[in-house]
Amino acid sequence: MKAVINSPNNRIQLNRKNNFMYYLKKDFLLYLLLLLPLAYLAIFRYAPIYGVLMAFQDYNLFQGIGGSEWVGLDVFKFIFEQNSFYRALKNTLVLNLLDLAIGFPAPIILAILLNEIWHARFKKVAQSILYLPHFLSWVIIGGMVYLLFSTGGLANSLLAGLGLSKIEFLSRKENWIVMYVLVGVWQSVGWGTIIYLAALVGINKELYEAADIDGASRLRKIWHITLPGIRPTIMILLILQIGRMVSIGFDRPYVLGNSLVSEYSDVISTYVYRIGIGAGDFSQATAVGLFQSVVGLVFLVAANYISKKIVGQGIW
Amino acid sequence: MALTLLTSALAACSGQNTNDPKESPATGESSTPGAAPSGDPVTLTVEIFDRGIQGQPDLNDNTWTRYINENFGKANNAIVKFVPVPRSQEIDKLNVLMAAGEAPDISFTYDGATVSRYAKSNGIMQLDDLLEEHGQDLKNYLGETVLTYGRYNGKLMAIPAKRTSLAWIGSFIRKDWLDKLGLPVPTTREELYEALIAFRDKNPGGVDGVIPWGVAATGMNYGYGNLSESFWEEQSEEEFVTMPNWLKPGNKEALKFLNKLYNEGLISPDFALDKTAQQADADVTNGKVGFFSANWDYPLRQNISEPLRANVPEAVFVPIDAFKNDEGKYKKIAYNENGINVFIPKSSKNAELAMKYLNWMSNPEVLFFLQYGEEGVNHKMVNGIPQVINQTGDNMQTSALNLDYTLVVNGVELGDQEKNIKALAATAPGLEEIAEQSYKINTTDSYTGFFFDTPNEANIKFGKTLGDLNKQMTDKLIVCKPSEFDGLYDSLVQEYMAAGGQAVMDESVQIYRAMQEANK
Repeated sequence: MKAVINSPNNRIQLNRKNNFMYYLKKDFLLYLLLLLPLAYLAIFRYAPIYGVLMAFQDYNLFQGIGGSEWVGLDVFKFIFEQNSFYRALKNTLVLNLLDLAIGFPAPIILAILLNEIWHARFKKVAQSILYLPHFLSWVIIGGMVYLLFSTGGLANSLLAGLGLSKIEFLSRKENWIVMYVLVGVWQSVGWGTIIYLAALVGINKELYEAADIDGASRLRKIWHITLPGIRPTIMILLILQIGRMVSIGFDRPYVLGNSLVSEYSDVISTYVYRIGIGAGDFSQATAVGLFQSVVGLVFLVAANYISKKIVGQGIW
Repeated sequence: MALTLLTSALAACSGQNTNDPKESPATGESSTPGAAPSGDPVTLTVEIFDRGIQGQPDLNDNTWTRYINENFGKANNAIVKFVPVPRSQEIDKLNVLMAAGEAPDISFTYDGATVSRYAKSNGIMQLDDLLEEHGQDLKNYLGETVLTYGRYNGKLMAIPAKRTSLAWIGSFIRKDWLDKLGLPVPTTREELYEALIAFRDKNPGGVDGVIPWGVAATGMNYGYGNLSESFWEEQSEEEFVTMPNWLKPGNKEALKFLNKLYNEGLISPDFALDKTAQQADADVTNGKVGFFSANWDYPLRQNISEPLRANVPEAVFVPIDAFKNDEGKYKKIAYNENGINVFIPKSSKNAELAMKYLNWMSNPEVLFFLQYGEEGVNHKMVNGIPQVINQTGDNMQTSALNLDYTLVVNGVELGDQEKNIKALAATAPGLEEIAEQSYKINTTDSYTGFFFDTPNEANIKFGKTLGDLNKQMTDKLIVCKPSEFDGLYDSLVQEYMAAGGQAVMDESVQIYRAMQEANK
């Protein structure tokens, strides 16, 4: 009996309990503060999940969730019969994949370039200028893109001045996709560098000195020290981005798109807007949203699993 | 998306919670018979569009609301309170208010589909008895034809406003350009085509980048007038009213004609990107555009006529009828006799008072004051026709003739149609003649949209998607290469029919036949 009580396992557990109470007492103000964000999550992130029920109902605005008729999976059946849904899904995946392929590495490269600048003042100014587009609303960016790249816009005037033929940047589907991705990179690349720059600061300077002594070139140092140094950050951001593969912002495709490129610019968010807010079909909009979340979760878990297998790092 | 989900979920929650407890508080007092005004005044809430006009007065405290409270409010022991709803998000906001059970006692929308959706989900009151009991003046004023448009499955669910000006679309050409080139005012498609070519090649205005035919993305003010109608071949009424335009014989030729014009550089090159019509407006007011189609009064509107006069003083847009069909008719759509749909939500505790309010408003004296205000302040009399004097601040009207306050009428109401049109023309100072001409042209050979007395379920479900498709298809077909046109037209129409077009059509046919059966 005594032996059991005194066994190391139990002792540790007792200690842990005491420790928790001890920390709670010591930092109760901090825990109190933590309640605020927890309440935020509970009220604005968890409570609305109740609304997911709408996806399984023929939702009636006036009866609410309690009074609406249950229809099982009918709403999903209806959605999966719609061609426009598949088009929106496909476009969402394609645009996100392109963003992943081009938009994801861009801030990494930029951060490394910035990191190589020694002139502190220049570096700061360059950083600030690169951040700026992030603070512009997409509506404004849309207006700028229109002024620059419409057939009567600046870019085409320049081309015409050089004796070249006009390019329909925004009204041909293929060109539009390129514009969509590039404008996205332009808007977010500066902002995206912040996290990487923070990670770069954390790399041990001695490693670089050691490499200098060994006579490593700048590229060698980037390859063997800088990149491995920020690998965990890259992996986490990559996994998160893959988790967002099926969800897409509303403003960017909506503002940049037009009727001539709708075959590529109609995405899930604009689909949900049209069905949910526009046509007032809350059941359908909720069902699409739920579908999006579930697929997103699957992607996230898969990406994390693969990442753990290959590089031994994941987010949990 | 998380956001959309969240808002809809929130709307749902509140809809649930507030529907029932709302029975008791504040507004509950109103159920005391309104005939004997005594005790605490009742608050009647009325929706009002907030159009965000620069310098607009407090929408709840201005000359007009005070007049209403002074005259209607006092007599009925009520306070009339106006609930502003942003004009551009009218339906979104209304959906939320309705879901929360907080929609104003008197709510309205121009969108008939929204009314039928509310009627179908049992969220608004049936008005037959109320109208009979408390709305005799209103009933007489509107007449049975107008009221028909408020009936859904035979039940009166909304009170439609009476529309006094029925012209809808119009086409306008630069007369000064035609004169310069020695061309006649076009009366057929071919003549118009020649004029457009001449505009392109001779650039009579001497402008940088002349645009023979100014257009914006489909769905935004600018359009193609009655061009399609001029290509449509004859059909039986049943086919005509139930078939989507895409299937009408001749419609393909109409689009093909536009496609040809676009590829010959006669139509605004970037129109499909002009989603707000700002570019088209700028082109028109900068004198670059030779011809355009829009609302029948578009060039008379202040935001067009004034900058145009400042930029290009010699510019004159005259209304024309150029789209003649095989029978020699200029067939074109005009408005039905109904305007905005006014309804009373189920959650309202003041239905009786609301009906009394609308009834009071149909009084000619009341209407005249709300539309024209005081003589010398808001209008002056010229040959017995009132002319509006634009005012600022307290006396300002935030919509033409206080359209948004006078819920029972849409357009001038002087009790006599001829006077109405004269007064309507007087709203465009200096352009009265053009206004009268345009009104006349655009109510000639006109037809109106067919009214189905039963809500079309398929249309409620697919209508929005099909509406968007319509716009995309039109733009795509105009811009595509002429060699690809035929194939694209057929495949797009197929897509349209599969996306719900067929379902809507089938149901329309059913409803139509049932209506014919009932009329026998």
